Amino acid sequence: MATRRRFLAGLAASTLIPASSWADMGAPAFVSAARTVDGDYHLFGLTGAGEVVFQVPLPARGHAAAAHPERAEVVAFARRPGRFAVMLDCANGAVLAELAAPVGRHFYGHGVYSADGHLLFTTENDYENARGVIGVWNAKNYARLGEFPSGGVGPHDLRLMPDAATLVVANGGIETHPDSGRAKLNLPFMQPNLSYLSLDGVNAEQAELPPDLRMNSIRHLDVRADGLVGFATQWQGDRMHSPAVIGIHRRGDQPKMLYAAPDQARAMEGYGGSVAFFDHGRRIAVSSPRGGVLQTGDMTLGVVEQNLSIPDVCGVGVAEGALHATTGTGAFWRLSEGAQALTQLPLAWDNHLVRISPV
Amino acid sequence: MFRTLVACLVMALPMPALADRTDTILDQHVLPGFAELAASSQALSEAAQSECQATAVPLRDAYTHAFDAWIRVSHLRFGPTERDNRGFALAFWPDSRSSTPKTLTALIHNEDPIVTDPKAFPTVSIAGRGFYAMEYLLCDPRLSTLGDDAYRCALIQAIAQDIATTSRDVDQDWRQTYVALMKTPEPGGVYQSEAEVLQEFYKALDTGLQINADLRLGRPLGTFDKPRPKRAEVWRSDRSLRHLQLSLEQLRQLVRLLAADDTDLAQRLDAKFDVAQTKADALNDPAFAGVATPAGRFRIEVLQQAVNGIRTEVTQSLGPALGVSVGFNSLDGD
Repeated sequence: MATRRRFLAGLAASTLIPASSWADMGAPAFVSAARTVDGDYHLFGLTGAGEVVFQVPLPARGHAAAAHPERAEVVAFARRPGRFAVMLDCANGAVLAELAAPVGRHFYGHGVYSADGHLLFTTENDYENARGVIGVWNAKNYARLGEFPSGGVGPHDLRLMPDAATLVVANGGIETHPDSGRAKLNLPFMQPNLSYLSLDGVNAEQAELPPDLRMNSIRHLDVRADGLVGFATQWQGDRMHSPAVIGIHRRGDQPKMLYAAPDQARAMEGYGGSVAFFDHGRRIAVSSPRGGVLQTGDMTLGVVEQNLSIPDVCGVGVAEGALHATTGTGAFWRLSEGAQALTQLPLAWDNHLVRISPV
Repeated sequence: MFRTLVACLVMALPMPALADRTDTILDQHVLPGFAELAASSQALSEAAQSECQATAVPLRDAYTHAFDAWIRVSHLRFGPTERDNRGFALAFWPDSRSSTPKTLTALIHNEDPIVTDPKAFPTVSIAGRGFYAMEYLLCDPRLSTLGDDAYRCALIQAIAQDIATTSRDVDQDWRQTYVALMKTPEPGGVYQSEAEVLQEFYKALDTGLQINADLRLGRPLGTFDKPRPKRAEVWRSDRSLRHLQLSLEQLRQLVRLLAADDTDLAQRLDAKFDVAQTKADALNDPAFAGVATPAGRFRIEVLQQAVNGIRTEVTQSLGPALGVSVGFNSLDGD
């Protein structure tokens, strides 16, 4: 057993040395998981025009992925409550390492690398204690280095702040336990928050929504270059109150939901799937696969601008200065001077379009 | 040729109109259920006023009837049921942090006078209110004898009265406002079309099935190495299996009303319910204590698979028939 492990470690190490860079890989702008017509799941590299530059198989349905800042490596996470994540070499599809969640933990589906690419941080559930944790991994050999509290229950997305020294974590507030599948266990007491943590786990600041929005689970994040955090929420309350699902937060301030007219808000069906700033940070977009709507907001005015009808839209991300979106029906959209589908492939694009930082 | 033409015309008719289906569901499934909840909860409150000992038979019978009535409507968690946290105030479960016994213990130890003020009692944590809190006071060996008898009596009366008030409010809101919103959907309304109304019922059905499979059965099953019989719902009163049976009966009624005149669809779904209900009726394990033994566990796992079998059939055949979106991402819930 030990011999096999050493052999695998050696194999991983040997493939790491001549690692490909993203430029070698055709400089993809994004990675995204998708289901193919055969029902298999693959991870794809995409240019800003929606063209596929590489494709590697995944063991099961994925959720999000984290791209290494330099090496053409991606950690792909199983969808919640998954226990596995795989580190893939995008040059040849080789599985460089498998990350198994420690005993008593499962992944929530998101992760982020440190700016130098040395560490990987993952959102996890300490389910016996209903406590969110951030797992810390060595990004060279993918050994687990430790963990620290996420600052809440049900951490989902997390991002690195522009200072490269702080993580911002969306603690969705919802308790789940793998024995009970995806059932929500604490809705009457749920309390989502945004937590700002140092890379060694010191909780520097927490922000909560006002009490009447306690059931607006903060799930997905984007961060602007000046540190403004955009977040997308999923409303757990009744449809009689269908609040906005798009908000912003600046450290030291209170979080604010963008103003949406009642019809614009309800078209989202209380469900934000992904969020991204675009137009040089002047605007923000949130997708709602439930409503089949891509909603954009104006950051100067703090209001929702428009709702675009795009069936099963979920992934959003910026490339070449423009907003792009993917759908469960295989379309890749660009939003500039109106919206247009650039490519249409026989694939079901999964929840998230993950941007690869330019190197 | 003439006959063929007639047959085509008949087939092309939407049967029955969506609006008729909504009316039937509301008039036969929703309103009678909430009326029964309000009436039996009022009877529970009156029984507690006359005799409040945990062992009093009239109180326990009234509790059984009212709790049954709640379980029969507990899948209808939208609109009036969700307003002001009413659903949780009636039914706080699962209680993964043992908040209910903690809240009740604190009330009893402190002899908190809030129990004598019906207007203030709703400010008590929802963990200390509703049917699940009362189960502890009636059936838990420690809490049913803890502290002062007279105080515990007043606490039972306060919880019963609070249940009656909440149930009455839910019933009233359904009759006076929410039925109209669902029967006459309009642009700008809470429901903008009949299709949205039916999707609400579909969602209630799917969530109800999920609660049966993942919570009612999944929580006590735990894992093979670590079964969790004490996580079963209402095991103290031996009502765990009964709740599953009552819920499946009601969900089956809702499915029939949603499938309406589509007899093929109704039969396919009925067959799935038959499998699960037959297994539940034959289980003979009222509190799912069998999860801790290999044989008992196997039977409960098979039952869970049967409930999941209903859920799969509902997603695959009833969902599309109702025009419910089954997009790759839209039903993902992440």
